Amino acid sequence: MTTNQPEALQSDCARSAGQDLRGLAPLRKGKILLTGGTGFVGTWLTEMIGFLNDRHNFQISLTLLSRHASSFPERAPHLASRADVNLVESDVRNVADLPSETEWIIHAAGNPDSRTHFSSPVRTMETIVLGTQTLLAAASRLTPLQKVLCLSSGLVYGPQHRDDAPLGEQAFSALNCNSLANLYPEAKRAAEMVTAAYRSQFGLPVLNARLFAFVGPYQLLDRPWAINNFFSDALRGGPIRVQGSGDTVRSYMYGSDLAYWLLRLLVSGKIGAAYNVGSPVGISLKDLAVKVAEHAPCRPLIDLNTLPAANIPCTRWLPDVTLAKTDCDLEVRIDLDHAICRTIEWQTRHSEIPTTRSL
Amino acid sequence: MRKVLISDPTLRDGNHAVQHKLNLAQIAAYARAADKAGIPIVEVGHGNGLAASSMQVGESAVSDREMLTTARENLRQSKLSIHVMPGFATIKRDLGPAIDLGVDVARVACHCSEADITQRHIAYVRERGKQVFGVLMMTHMLTKERLAEEALKMESYGAEAIMLMDSAGAFLPTDVAERVRTLVQALHIPVGFHAHNNLGMAVVNSITALESGATILDGTARGFGAGAGNTQIEVLVAVLNKMGYETGIDLYKILDAADLAERELMPAIPTIKSTSIVSGLAGVFSGFAKHVDRVSLQFHVDPRDVFFELGRRGIVAGQEDLIIEVANALSSRRSDALAEVV
Repeated sequence: MTTNQPEALQSDCARSAGQDLRGLAPLRKGKILLTGGTGFVGTWLTEMIGFLNDRHNFQISLTLLSRHASSFPERAPHLASRADVNLVESDVRNVADLPSETEWIIHAAGNPDSRTHFSSPVRTMETIVLGTQTLLAAASRLTPLQKVLCLSSGLVYGPQHRDDAPLGEQAFSALNCNSLANLYPEAKRAAEMVTAAYRSQFGLPVLNARLFAFVGPYQLLDRPWAINNFFSDALRGGPIRVQGSGDTVRSYMYGSDLAYWLLRLLVSGKIGAAYNVGSPVGISLKDLAVKVAEHAPCRPLIDLNTLPAANIPCTRWLPDVTLAKTDCDLEVRIDLDHAICRTIEWQTRHSEIPTTRSL
Repeated sequence: MRKVLISDPTLRDGNHAVQHKLNLAQIAAYARAADKAGIPIVEVGHGNGLAASSMQVGESAVSDREMLTTARENLRQSKLSIHVMPGFATIKRDLGPAIDLGVDVARVACHCSEADITQRHIAYVRERGKQVFGVLMMTHMLTKERLAEEALKMESYGAEAIMLMDSAGAFLPTDVAERVRTLVQALHIPVGFHAHNNLGMAVVNSITALESGATILDGTARGFGAGAGNTQIEVLVAVLNKMGYETGIDLYKILDAADLAERELMPAIPTIKSTSIVSGLAGVFSGFAKHVDRVSLQFHVDPRDVFFELGRRGIVAGQEDLIIEVANALSSRRSDALAEVV
């Protein structure tokens, strides 16, 4: 494909935002601070804000605070060079003062990569829990502050079994808080409690978004998630390897939908609430592999049950997003086929995998 | 019928038993026989794995490149596997070229408490689209809970299975059962087990692993491996057949392969020597046996004392040079004691 990438991504933003942008009107001429601003979520938010400024004259000023700000120009040059984007290299754990004009904050810092969680559990806890506390303490001193949206995880609910109903915002089950396997969800739970404490004690206007699984350009293929591995296998020419039977169910929301949802929640989400953010449309990993194969340039084969195992779980992780729809009129606008197609197109240009391009 | 994946490191672990002197004709002959028997995975290389040939742990008779090329040429159905320890093998110089030569499976190994060092190697193998297992060695040195944490790291790095190695042959069946069960429960990928036979427990420990939830087992022809050797693959296959497990391995042909291995590869069939029993009790890596015997002779000390002292110090593979230090210390201590008597 020869699609102009920035234009293609802006057209995706347009589809996600839809025709009626009145729901985002309070952000016009707004000053937004985004922590963890150069990851997948932050990059897509920047993409969406760029779209709103370019196509709809929103005049938003965006400050991206990230530990990896200096690598952002290489990762997304068309975003890093924007006049309305201010890059600040800083660790959220050490933030003392925020830009005094900040009105809106999206707190996205906190790496969801399980490799980091297991290798550096202390740093992970610090970034998520202390980072949130540090940020909220600084935010509580901002005079023009309108609202803070903290990004949590759909993992806070605990495991969802194959036949369970989609997870609503109250569907908690117990996690073993003495197991490192639960470090990330436990840290996110603690961070949510920090937001509740700041809201209660200092009246901070803060709410949480619980994120599920996502897909799209800017996804790093070395990340340890099934869909990333499928893309990686497919771009290499296959086969796409699926551990186990492939009956595990996940759902995937496209990056521009994610960005639009977060901005809408920032504006219209109720203070103190927590909202699921993700696609409610489930797909088995087996079917996902088939979809990825169908859109891949070389139509790779699929290997199921690559190794014998009794312990590969057959689970699902699926949000109930009724609350986001009810409170903020949110819906998924980009389907999985488009998301996969666009991701493969983007990865073919940007990833370092020696892709098999022959048809 | 439950499936078991059998992996055969005869041409890797067995190299320990012959000071890493397996030659290309031997590798070709056994690889052909293993392939004919339908062994799913055949591991080849220096006893300590890729790029380990060195003065410290022993020099291979032939290069990694020659070993892998020869094995590849003689394996049609079986996957070609390598043992990769990040301390020896670098990605650019060793691992990449090995994959270029046709390696299908890389088993990235480390001491049981050091999984962090495997991240880049595991990631690289995944990037190259090959199968990668994480291998935790000397697993008797860690509690089951800590082992699970290390294994979870490897899983998060991209390992598609975790192998637990009883490198010292120190386990009793109850040790195996509790560790395997814990890992099976903690992980979302298959668990495997690699035994050594120092205490005569290799086959029963392998079966215990299986009954505890493992689905991958290592075995070598006649148990050809470091120290007292490994689980004897032809016995293992026979037992598994009798228990109703599916291995995909032809019994007569694996028996033939084992006969060939005895004839062509082994100056002596591995037996449980006194020092092997002691190394198992002391919890010292089986591959140390020949070094300990040699150094003990040189310093006129009892190799059994050397093993127990190595165990007391918690010495692990890669610290072979400390065998001399321990033997020297024991020798000096004895000389001092004698001097006091005189």
